[in-house]
Amino acid sequence: MEKKKTAAKKTTGFQDSFKRLEEILEKLENEVEDSSLEEIIKYYQEGLKLLKECRDKLSEAELKIEKISTEENV
Amino acid sequence: MNSILTVSDLNRQIKYIIENNFQFVNIEGEISNFKNHIASGHYYFSLKDDKAQINAIMWGSRNKELTFIPENGMKVLVKGKVTLYETRGTYQIDVFELKKSGSGDLQAAYEELKNKLFAEGLFREEHKKELPIFPERVCVITSESGAAWQDFVKVTKKRYPYVKLFLINALMQGSGSAESICKAVRIANNPAYNLDEIVITRGGGSMEDLWSFNDENLAREIFNSALPVITAVGHEVDFTISDFVADRRAATPSNAAEIIFPDINEIFRYLDDSASELEKTVKYKLRNIKIALDNISGNYYFKRPADLLNENKIKTDELSKKLNTIIKEKLSNLRLFLHSSERIINTIGPDKTLKRGFAIIEKEDKIISRKAGLRTGDKVQIRFFDGETDSEIL
Repeated sequence: MEKKKTAAKKTTGFQDSFKRLEEILEKLENEVEDSSLEEIIKYYQEGLKLLKECRDKLSEAELKIEKISTEENV
Repeated sequence: MNSILTVSDLNRQIKYIIENNFQFVNIEGEISNFKNHIASGHYYFSLKDDKAQINAIMWGSRNKELTFIPENGMKVLVKGKVTLYETRGTYQIDVFELKKSGSGDLQAAYEELKNKLFAEGLFREEHKKELPIFPERVCVITSESGAAWQDFVKVTKKRYPYVKLFLINALMQGSGSAESICKAVRIANNPAYNLDEIVITRGGGSMEDLWSFNDENLAREIFNSALPVITAVGHEVDFTISDFVADRRAATPSNAAEIIFPDINEIFRYLDDSASELEKTVKYKLRNIKIALDNISGNYYFKRPADLLNENKIKTDELSKKLNTIIKEKLSNLRLFLHSSERIINTIGPDKTLKRGFAIIEKEDKIISRKAGLRTGDKVQIRFFDGETDSEIL
């Protein structure tokens, strides 16, 4: 079980960027009246960064297929 | 000697004999050469066992009520009439009823297991696990050579290529298939693979073909799976026990891919919307701030500096006026002073004295006031009140 380290999940996948983006959009919507301009700009900049990440990740994506052998497994 | 018959006469006589002797028959056999005549809706096929075969036809009006589409290799129980087609001299079965064979016993076993597991609560909604929205590592348990795998990959590629599929090749029908699928489910649940969900899929088939998906052990294996399980087994109309216990049932392999993967084009659209949403929020904030600033600058306290400046301006103007007056006064005083000084100078200066007959002797621009300052031959200027003259001391 321990030897299959390659199967470890990526932590900066599309999903993480996408979730954070949704968070930021929600925050902006809820806090736009109360937050300072600096905070809003900060969210905005992070949002743009995440958008780019998401787009890049999806654009370079390519379906991968791996076969899991049933022989070495019990 | 027998009389000579026409072909038509012979076929008619045989037809009479056959159709009278075989009114309705029940036959068990396997379907082959299945053709669905699209325009008429009639089914044409052969019914065969390991040694023989017979043509069969099921008219469109009769096959409408079937809950499955027959396939080659499917074992069926047929109820029909034997008829002879005079034009060709061939005979066939005119099918009135068609059932998947053995469905009596199997159906009973299926119902029994379904009721048992239902009573245990294995089908309950509360046990259904949520599927991940953006799966990254998806296990597909299927036959590597099957059309189901091809269909699933095709739709996945188009819909959501940002994923890694892990194929576990398993027996999808016949003896040992339920065990093979159970083992695959266990392997997929090995945390080392870090998978997001499991798809179990195969194409359509007879009730026997799909029978392993009505296996109790497989049903429990699916129920116990830590990962969500999606089943896509057989056709739309086929419901197996595995489908009931799975977290989600898909009608077909393609449908499974549609259910578990978001459409990448929709994601791109969402991202575009998000971009304009971000833009809008910042612009809104900026506009608000501008309005607030305008309001503040319109406020009395912020207008005060301008008022103060204006006041000072007035004061300054007054001051500079005063200053002007003072300077003018000073200047005129100065002029008066200069004028009187001139008069005084004129009064006490040498001019008047010179006019009375005195003169000033200068040697090299110096006034000579005593006799000792002069020698014979010195050149001097003598200044009278009306002018100067150069002279020489003799």
